[in-house]
Amino acid sequence: MQHAVSTGVVFGWDPMWFSGVLFVLTYLVILSDRINRAIVALLSASLMILGGVLTQQAALRGVDFNTLGLLTGMMVIVAITRRTGVFQFLAVWSAKQVRADPWGILVMLVLVTAVLSALLDNVTTVLLVAPVTLLITDALRINPYPFLFAEIFASNIGGAATLIGDPPNIMIGSAVNLSFNDFLINLGPAAVIVLLVTLIPFYLIWGRSMYASQEDRQRVLNYNEWEAITDVPLLWKSLLVLGLVLTGFVMGHHLNLQPASIAMSGAALLLLMDNLPGKADDQSRSVNASFSQVEWVTIFFFLGLFIIVHGVESTGLLTMLADDILSWTQGDTFVTSMAILWGSAVASALVDNIPFVAASIPLIKSMAATFGGPEGLMPLWWSLALGSCLGGNGSLIGASANVIVAGFAERSGHPISFLRFMLGAFPLMILSIIISSIYIYLRYL
Amino acid sequence: MSASQVMDPYPSVLHKDENIAKGVELVMEHRYRNIPVVDDNGCYQGIFGVNCLLRLVLPKAVLLERGLTTVPFVSDTLRDLRLRLKEVEDKPVTFCMSHEAPVVAPGTPLVETLLLLYHARTSLPVVDPDSGCLVGVISYWDVGAKILEQEI
Repeated sequence: MQHAVSTGVVFGWDPMWFSGVLFVLTYLVILSDRINRAIVALLSASLMILGGVLTQQAALRGVDFNTLGLLTGMMVIVAITRRTGVFQFLAVWSAKQVRADPWGILVMLVLVTAVLSALLDNVTTVLLVAPVTLLITDALRINPYPFLFAEIFASNIGGAATLIGDPPNIMIGSAVNLSFNDFLINLGPAAVIVLLVTLIPFYLIWGRSMYASQEDRQRVLNYNEWEAITDVPLLWKSLLVLGLVLTGFVMGHHLNLQPASIAMSGAALLLLMDNLPGKADDQSRSVNASFSQVEWVTIFFFLGLFIIVHGVESTGLLTMLADDILSWTQGDTFVTSMAILWGSAVASALVDNIPFVAASIPLIKSMAATFGGPEGLMPLWWSLALGSCLGGNGSLIGASANVIVAGFAERSGHPISFLRFMLGAFPLMILSIIISSIYIYLRYL
Repeated sequence: MSASQVMDPYPSVLHKDENIAKGVELVMEHRYRNIPVVDDNGCYQGIFGVNCLLRLVLPKAVLLERGLTTVPFVSDTLRDLRLRLKEVEDKPVTFCMSHEAPVVAPGTPLVETLLLLYHARTSLPVVDPDSGCLVGVISYWDVGAKILEQEI
């Protein structure tokens, strides 16, 4: 697909080289963490246009507004819903269901985190669950490290299960027109298996020796989870809209409704229900407060990234890379799937998985002819989704949620060191990729 | 007129190696809001006060940036809070002192000093800008007394 290339690139450079070098430089600067990633992406996107690789119209055609709309809509819904206290309720309620037994709490918080991550985005989930976890471990006078470690894993594993759980899935689903049900049916079982298997080493490493005195457990049991619900009317409105949105995700594909339309409609409805019958001034304040909760850095990062990748794609560089990969794998579905699964897992553990997935999507798409059309690519898409989501568990910088949890841990006086985390996490991430490899092989190959 | 003329030149201070128990004792005994912390040379290190105390007895999770903003479901008792304080009583006051409290120099003009006092809502340490040493403290009461002394 080379139609988007404009007539000339500055200084007469080869567009393929220009866009390729720009992409690699962008990746390196993002990796260095010296400049905010949204700034880097927008600047590189601008250079892609100013450098003559893309026209403005072509650049906008590369932006996946379905992904941006889905992310923004869900962020608004969660921003309003979190005000009700329902997420704290869930965490405290689950801790009390196991009589405040430390291992039981870990398992319950893992399950809550995984389910919430599957239905919301991972960063939001850990922002909601990690502080309650620290509150509970403080009350139990036990080390929060195993809990936070397990929640990082749960958020990335849970996020792998659905279309809306993790940005890589949103991007893949949007680019390939896969439905919520496609992800749930194909990746849900894998995520459940990986989550359950991962609990075994957690138990062997930490679970067996966890102990809290009866007095400390009673402190948690004295928590009144119902008091966490601070706005009952808003809770009902939020649950109604969340229910409608989830139903929309499940049913929408058949009605030709894209996820962004569903999420944005839900956001608009909840904003309306949250603000009526307030005065105009109060509405402005309330809507501003909800919009301020949207992670605009993430949204603009995606926006820039889509343009950069479209620029690279438009020069034919990704097709060339795809041909190289195919000649190496000899067009074998198993070998190509495994290369994508393991490559994306290791890459996601070490660098930001979003640019990786953004670049991989057009690359995989261009392999369609070799694998007998779009249907033949499905194992490759599931491999990319599993690899990039689960790979995020491999290191503390593997996913945004990991960084958020590490920040909480540090501020609460229990810092998680990069090396210590990686020594435990990387082998467990490898275990999850082995399980995924078996799953892909048995189910699709 | 400047800060040095309205300050208390002999304020109560805590040494940086003194423990939190001692700091708590001073705060509670004299109902101080803040006490300056100094090193061996009398140089200003920070302030210890009632906010530190509250921070020590509250669960850490409620004080985290981007953490919990409300915790109506927590039902800790006074004993739980006391236990939380006991765990850190032997740590030095530097463990929870604030470095961010505003300070004034002895030569800071009076009105500027009062404006800072108004915004800080607590006593202001007076620190020599050259040596970094604490030379006094300005409280509402010192300033109020000096103003009322004036004949009009």
